Amino acid sequence: MLMIKAENLFFSYTGSSPYVLDGIDLEIRDGEYVSVVGENGSGKSTLMRLILNFIKPTSGSIVPQTKRIGYVPQKNDFSNSSFPITVYEVLNSYRRLLKIKNKDIITEALEQVGLLSVKGSLMGTLSGGQSQKIRIARALMGNPDLLILDEPSTGVDIGSQKEIYSFLKKINKENGITVVSVEHNLNAAISNSTLIYHLTCGQGHLCTPQQYTDEFMKNGGKSNDNIQL
Amino acid sequence: MTIFNYSFMQNAIFVSVFISILCPCIGIFLVLRRYSMIGDTLAHASLAGVTIGLLLNQNPILGAFVFTSICGALIEFLRSYFKKYTDLILTIVLSLSVGTAITIISSGKLHVNADSFMFGSILTVTHFDMIMVLILSVISVLTLILLYHQMVYIAYDEEAAKVAGVKVRLINYIFSILVASAISVSIRIVGVLVLSSMIALPVATALQLGKGFKLTLVFSIVFSVIDIMLGLFISYYLNVAPGGFTALISVAVLVFVLLAKKLQSSIRTARCK
Repeated sequence: MLMIKAENLFFSYTGSSPYVLDGIDLEIRDGEYVSVVGENGSGKSTLMRLILNFIKPTSGSIVPQTKRIGYVPQKNDFSNSSFPITVYEVLNSYRRLLKIKNKDIITEALEQVGLLSVKGSLMGTLSGGQSQKIRIARALMGNPDLLILDEPSTGVDIGSQKEIYSFLKKINKENGITVVSVEHNLNAAISNSTLIYHLTCGQGHLCTPQQYTDEFMKNGGKSNDNIQL
Repeated sequence: MTIFNYSFMQNAIFVSVFISILCPCIGIFLVLRRYSMIGDTLAHASLAGVTIGLLLNQNPILGAFVFTSICGALIEFLRSYFKKYTDLILTIVLSLSVGTAITIISSGKLHVNADSFMFGSILTVTHFDMIMVLILSVISVLTLILLYHQMVYIAYDEEAAKVAGVKVRLINYIFSILVASAISVSIRIVGVLVLSSMIALPVATALQLGKGFKLTLVFSIVFSVIDIMLGLFISYYLNVAPGGFTALISVAVLVFVLLAKKLQSSIRTARCK
């Protein structure tokens, strides 16, 4: 079954050329773990924003085939660290937005990411890894078919990165949740994904991690985007 | 005879109770979304509303509410045209409203003095004002309770709110009307010039306590009650405008809390040594 389908997708912030996304055709099937990679400005985050319907395509279409979507935004220290909100409040308000009546879902979500002990803590006092796990727990509260993450390892220490990626892999395999993750961490993309979507100059192609590594090595250890592995 | 026996003082206390509840409820969202200056702009817009109301022989608070709501909606509307220049939008709305107010006041067509709305006055609260304040406050508080979780999320993580299906644009428009309501309720006592202090300072003080959202809101209301009531009573005995003195009390309470926090942290450090 298809989870995301993009056809002849063009996007430009000005409405005309140059296009950030320049004629994208993409099909992502359910159960895949797809990492979207590419250099800064290649259109990775724009693609995410189009999938989430935050912005509209200039032409063409991109449609997720499910309404149950979980989203883990990029960590934004400036806006969030000083915000007076507890972990419980973050999850409880989100539960209310999703119209979930069962309050136990908060405890279950925290247990899932091993952070029940921080339930009463302020979000701003958590480490980068902990707050990212809370965001993932929140995204999973609606029991999504599709989980979209924007650079999940940004601002997260190496130990927590490993835990996060292994958790994402687990929910992808065991729960069948389709994962689409914008990645700047190429090691994580190659080790965890079932497919990699490589964006360059507004155009992309889907390949296996092995094909991506081969392509990478063919370029003398440097990707087309000058990203070091 | 105590000051509580004066009917003008009873009216002023009645209105002040609503101000002290409503302003921080709105203020917490404005401050946390870093929109404090919107409060200031709309406070100035309310002066234009007051003058339009007086010019048309209507209740000035009603005039302030209608005009400030329009300006609030205008800010929200212009946001899509000037996405990265929120301050420019405020300048546009400020120019429109202050320009309107000055033109009407200087035309000499007003038969009532609009000065009391600039500085605040406890003598001018009428029964009709009290009814207006009661209606606006009750509707606003009920709306806030109804939209509480949506508004918390729009302030905390707007993108996550959108994914959860929150109609962000619509709620932003409703919020503009709530801001207009809080401002209209407050202008009689606090006055236009220092009204934004009532919206931002109790919240700024409560933020120093480092609590979660709900407790920060509760403490904002507590500080707001302290600020306004002290401001009201002391300004009565000093025979000065309540608005200005309430603003001074708000700053004093904030400084007091900052110093207490500093002292507490010094004591903790000394104990650790």
